[in-house]
Amino acid sequence: MIAGRSAGAVRAEEVIGRLLIVVTYVSVGLLLVGVGLLIADGVSPLSGGPTFELGRVAGDVLKLDPAGFLWLGLLAIMAAPVGRVTIALVSYARDGDRLMVAVSTGILLVIAAAVASAAIATV
Amino acid sequence: MIIGLAMIGGGAAAGLFGSLLGLGGGILIVPLLTLGFALPLREAVGVSLVCVMMTSSAAAGVYLERHVANLRLGMTLELFTAIGALIGGSVAFLIDERLVSILFAGLLGYVAITMFRAPGRDGSLAGETPDAAMVLEPSHAAPSPSVLDRLAGDDYRVRNLGRGVLGATGAGVASALLGIGGGTIKVPLMHLSMGVPLRVATATSNLMIGITAAASAIIYLIHGGIDPYVAGPTALGVFVGATAGSRLGHRLDLRYVRWLFVVVLSYTALQMLSRAVG
Repeated sequence: MIAGRSAGAVRAEEVIGRLLIVVTYVSVGLLLVGVGLLIADGVSPLSGGPTFELGRVAGDVLKLDPAGFLWLGLLAIMAAPVGRVTIALVSYARDGDRLMVAVSTGILLVIAAAVASAAIATV
Repeated sequence: MIIGLAMIGGGAAAGLFGSLLGLGGGILIVPLLTLGFALPLREAVGVSLVCVMMTSSAAAGVYLERHVANLRLGMTLELFTAIGALIGGSVAFLIDERLVSILFAGLLGYVAITMFRAPGRDGSLAGETPDAAMVLEPSHAAPSPSVLDRLAGDDYRVRNLGRGVLGATGAGVASALLGIGGGTIKVPLMHLSMGVPLRVATATSNLMIGITAAASAIIYLIHGGIDPYVAGPTALGVFVGATAGSRLGHRLDLRYVRWLFVVVLSYTALQMLSRAVG
């Protein structure tokens, strides 16, 4: 459908498409476990969940704490687009497509700026 | 338990309606959580952003696999939607929630009027115009700069990149402030202003939601604006509803769904407005 794409770029689109689908279903699975545990524990969703702490997620998952699975599912869905841009960046770099390398890098820099600005604002 | 199931059910209804009418669920999730579950507006926006990412990701994946979405155009525009989302996400924590409520009521009113005035044959917003994928611009229409050439498709050209960049930035700000995917802005922008066939514009807009929402969702996450206990059940419900909607869409007469939706949107707009001023 799209003009002027190399075979590598076409392949990269297919890989990215598959990645997005797989990550979506993985995150749905994680959320399903988290919500199941939430209901099993009799916790009301309106009781106020824990705030996000990256260092606690793995421990919460091992303890079968619903918050661990919920955060992991939510993180997966948030990370998927970033992974998609990273794969595209590598593909465009291989093809020597400077314009799209610049665009992909710009997107990743904006995401990094979002993390940095929010982190600074909350300090 | 009942509240959790109600959230899943509410999310499913939002996802189903959104999918049937080509809107995405974001426009219904925020009112659902604020009016239905008395959540603070910012928290509802944060949850909504995660939900629209979830519904868009799977659809965008399918569009990419089938080579319908224009990845180059989508990535070029999403650089600017992400910048807009960064601005919107940063501003969202500084402005009065009542102002956000008023903006949201305005958005709901706009969508309700659009659906009321120019319904598609199938009742969907995306059906407002004939399928432009069948009405392609001739590729020899005008000489284009090389950047536009590189963003073009096999059978269409892209024009008005400057307008696209401006609109994409605005869509990013709106997405971050209101927790929507921004398809109501991006699809008409790409289709009507940039000459992209409707089918490609819809697929590309879907693809762009991920990065747009991620830029602002990260800000909401770090500010403590996303509650996992609310986001989990709601996102699950939205996913189930959107999946069901995509399978039911061609079997239903969507004119009645559209009329119901116009009524729901108008009522919700009034509720959001009264919440803001009351």
